[in-house]
Amino acid sequence: MNSDRVSRRSVLAAAGTGLGMSVAGCSGSGGGSSGPTVGILEDRSGNFQLNGTSKWQATRLAIEEINENGGLLGEQIEIVDPDPQSDNSRYQELTERLILQDQVDALWAGYSSATREAIRPIINENEQLYFYTTQYEGGVCDNTIFPVGATARQQLGIVTPYLADEFGEDIYIIAADYNFGQLSGDWVNVLAQENGYNIIGEEYIPLDETDFSSVINRIQDEDPDFIMSMLVGANHENFYDQRATNGMEDIPIGTSTAMAQGHEHIRYDPPALTNVYAGVSYMEELGDLREGENFVEDFYDRWPDANYLNQEAQNNYFSVYLWAEAVREAETFDQEAVIEVLEEGQEVSAPSGELTLDGATHHMEHEMRVAEADEEHEISFTNNERIGPSFLREEVEGGAGCDLREEDKTTQYVPSDVYDV
Amino acid sequence: MIEVAATPLQLSAPSLGALLFQFLNSFGFIILATVGLAIIFGMMGVINLAHGEFILIGVYGTALTYHAGVPLPLAMVAGVVVTTIFGVIVERTVVRHLYDRLLDSMVATWGLALVISQLLLIVFGSSLDSISTPMGSVSYGPFSSSIYRSIFLPIVAVAVLGGLYVLFTRTEFGVKARATIKDPETARAMGVDTDRMYVSTFAIGSALAGLTGALYAPALGSITPNRGSTFLVEAFVAVVVGGPSVIIGTLSASAVLSVFNATGSFFFGTFIGQMLLLLVAIVALRLLPDGITGYVKDWQQRRRAEQ
Amino acid sequence: MSESVDAEASVLDRLRGRLEGPNTYGNSLPFWAVFAVVIAGLALYPQLVGVYTVIQTSRYFALAFLALSLSFIWGYAGILSFGQVAFFGVAAYTFGIIGLNFSSATEIMAALVGAILVGTVAAAIVGYFMFYGGVRDTYVTIMTLVIALVLNTFMAQTAGSEWAVGVAQLGGFNGMDIPSLTLGIGQSGFVLERAALYYALLAALVVTYLGLRVLVNSSFGLTMVAIREDEARTRTFGYDVPFVKLVVFTIGGALAAVGGVFYGSWGNYIDPTVFGIAFAALPVVWVSVGGRESLVGALGATVLIERMRTELSSGIGPIGSEWALVIVGGLLLGVILFMPAGVVPTADDLIARLRDRRTERGQSTNTPEEAIE
Repeated sequence: MNSDRVSRRSVLAAAGTGLGMSVAGCSGSGGGSSGPTVGILEDRSGNFQLNGTSKWQATRLAIEEINENGGLLGEQIEIVDPDPQSDNSRYQELTERLILQDQVDALWAGYSSATREAIRPIINENEQLYFYTTQYEGGVCDNTIFPVGATARQQLGIVTPYLADEFGEDIYIIAADYNFGQLSGDWVNVLAQENGYNIIGEEYIPLDETDFSSVINRIQDEDPDFIMSMLVGANHENFYDQRATNGMEDIPIGTSTAMAQGHEHIRYDPPALTNVYAGVSYMEELGDLREGENFVEDFYDRWPDANYLNQEAQNNYFSVYLWAEAVREAETFDQEAVIEVLEEGQEVSAPSGELTLDGATHHMEHEMRVAEADEEHEISFTNNERIGPSFLREEVEGGAGCDLREEDKTTQYVPSDVYDV
Repeated sequence: MIEVAATPLQLSAPSLGALLFQFLNSFGFIILATVGLAIIFGMMGVINLAHGEFILIGVYGTALTYHAGVPLPLAMVAGVVVTTIFGVIVERTVVRHLYDRLLDSMVATWGLALVISQLLLIVFGSSLDSISTPMGSVSYGPFSSSIYRSIFLPIVAVAVLGGLYVLFTRTEFGVKARATIKDPETARAMGVDTDRMYVSTFAIGSALAGLTGALYAPALGSITPNRGSTFLVEAFVAVVVGGPSVIIGTLSASAVLSVFNATGSFFFGTFIGQMLLLLVAIVALRLLPDGITGYVKDWQQRRRAEQ
Repeated sequence: MSESVDAEASVLDRLRGRLEGPNTYGNSLPFWAVFAVVIAGLALYPQLVGVYTVIQTSRYFALAFLALSLSFIWGYAGILSFGQVAFFGVAAYTFGIIGLNFSSATEIMAALVGAILVGTVAAAIVGYFMFYGGVRDTYVTIMTLVIALVLNTFMAQTAGSEWAVGVAQLGGFNGMDIPSLTLGIGQSGFVLERAALYYALLAALVVTYLGLRVLVNSSFGLTMVAIREDEARTRTFGYDVPFVKLVVFTIGGALAAVGGVFYGSWGNYIDPTVFGIAFAALPVVWVSVGGRESLVGALGATVLIERMRTELSSGIGPIGSEWALVIVGGLLLGVILFMPAGVVPTADDLIARLRDRRTERGQSTNTPEEAIE
């Protein structure tokens, strides 16, 4: 019944449940530990374990590196990292625990957008500094949340125009039938409006669907120049296999979801992913662009059994350093002070390049690139471009943008706030 | 989203072909997902909520053997064997205590499902490499369909049902097994080793789950410890819509459900296809509380009574 | 029983008479003594532990309504619903929709009533559909599960801005915001959070538990049990079986709805996974482990199992968190195999047997009045 970090309080709590009530006066504050503590809630079992595990591994790696190099402000950082098992209600409970009981100084949590939304009321209520690192639909403008992953506009913005220039302007959209997929579809529509592409088909597919034969027949009927695929999760991956079975690998696919997260190009035999172009900020194949560092090697040295070092894991990794730098500058772990430093805008040297945190929006200016898988699923990168969080910075609120330094906000903007989609 | 499918397909000879193949694809899938569960439920009164995980063991058995360099058909045999052995072990240790405790069997097998899928994760890691679907595709007009999924698997599915029909009606084993299920006391009095009949029947159910896993190992896409749920819902729905008669019930329920699923997906998109499958199940249960075969039997009896 | 001249005592006796009967476990003075101690302990609990534990326990209390709901319909009337989560979720969503559109304290209290009403009516409709249509046994189980799954599939795709009721966005897979429960009149209200929510839930649970005890020990309760034991014979005695089942199912739906409102306002959030198969299985697990014919067993099992599941997610000692689900699954298997009736009935049986043996040994002539049976 007890966690591995047995605190006085949890022992009392357990005793209380059993009603072995010895009325020992216990009250007051103080968490499970006195030193600086970091919370990591990443899925290592359940639906999202394939993506969550490497996020957890990379976060631990970064903190262990910092500890080995003398810690932060002279103190070793303690890690609290229970496994939320891809279960949103468990996430809610563990978030309460990490904030109230372990009193974490910063929190990294969650793969899916639904998870982020599930814990957001708790984050807001406690004003907890929280790094959400998954690439996501974008638009979250929230006081204490730093969504450092690339947004749909950044990812789709790099890959869609590239494919339209290369292959033609007739696009067929297939996406997962939930918030992320629908908003990503909206973003492709926005890009089509801006550049004059034609959306000739648009289809949203439930997350638990595994059979794509009707989807494939409809695509064949429309014969697009390329497909934009924002399919999500293990069930949807079957699309790529069925595409190869039906000999459709000559129709290129642009994506923001495949390869960089679930490493389908490794798990599937060619040619399932041939001619797939992903808009990414990072993939393992990119290596480490910093001088004299080798992130990939360090990662596999620490975690020899790891499957893949994905885009999200790199986000976790550099954002830990981003936070550590801000703590050093603030000379305190106090969350308010750290957020203030972060909001000044920070430069961080990440394996994916020299990145900038935009203080006003809490989002990153990422080095975006197109990753292409060839006949043998070898990855090559092209079309490197630096893209900032322009949607939040310049487009929302009638062009005024979201500026968290100026005003308090806990909202999420969507493309339809600005565009007619 | 209101506009579920961008542009519905125009009806033409090739698109009707596409609809037919989609139906066959769905038909084969539902039969194979259901048959193992239907045997165990229909003959033994045990609801196996770990059915999806049994199938997954077949998938893992096949995939691991295949990745070790064994040709796919042999790897599939290995998948079936592994699942059957596993089924016998589970029967001896767990399920034998649960006969005729329908509802308890649900909870126990739910626990078992948790254990299996988490152990697969611990032992084999986040995922296994996928296996490409064999046999390629058949093209007609602008369309194409997977030969394996839309032709081969439906044929195997119907053949499996045919084989079971022969096994349970034409062989001594089948007669004994059905006698055991119907009236274990009398069967025992007649010299039938009922204990062995239970094990064999459960082994057959497990073997069928293993076969489904083996056949879908190369058609499942990703192989992760959570994929068991892919099969469970369809299997449940088909079992109850089919009713008490295992073979005819599975066949007729699969046909009805896949007609709705395929036409729904074809004309309106996959969301409507999924919803139709579930809604049809609800309506069917309301109209035919004993399933399709229960209704047919009832109707036959009434007709006989009239004569 | 000794004749009491004390009027007060006779009122208590009459009250106990209502609360006790063959359909409940714990019909003895020692039981009520322990019950009182437990309630007192739970009332003191928030003073002794940290705010996190209070919040966490409130969540388990909200889930316990779901367990009571299932124990009531399954344990006492034999209706195994795999879809109680449907009414739980529908009520939570309804509470969110009404609560977000109106914000004053009075209106949030109205939202509470409205949400419970909608959940209850939904259960009544489903119940009418099933029991007057002759759906029975396993088919009820599967049908309720399918209804939950339909809601799951449907709600997951309501992400678009067109899926809104007033200002409340349904939010699809990402879920929906839910306001906190508020008591009060007009704009001034008392928001139920943390310890306040805990006490509100504790009071609601105690009242519900006692109410259900009265109900299952009443003549209606006897009819329920008769239906569970032998439906056909109960019908031949002239009871309107579909109607009784409908009433039972509707009450069950109302209980689930109460839990749903509390649960939604606990996390200020609800999402379609409440309709999913994994969540739907949980009430069945709690009730089976606790003992389905025992309301108090269902309550205890919910709190303990959920607490264990959360604690295990950090691993125990040298055993890593990856074993959590294996342990949970293994425990369930063990309970079902070794304690088929569930923990509370098995323990009760054990106590009764021990007592019998002691009475035999002591050659006691009078049968114990307060047999725990």
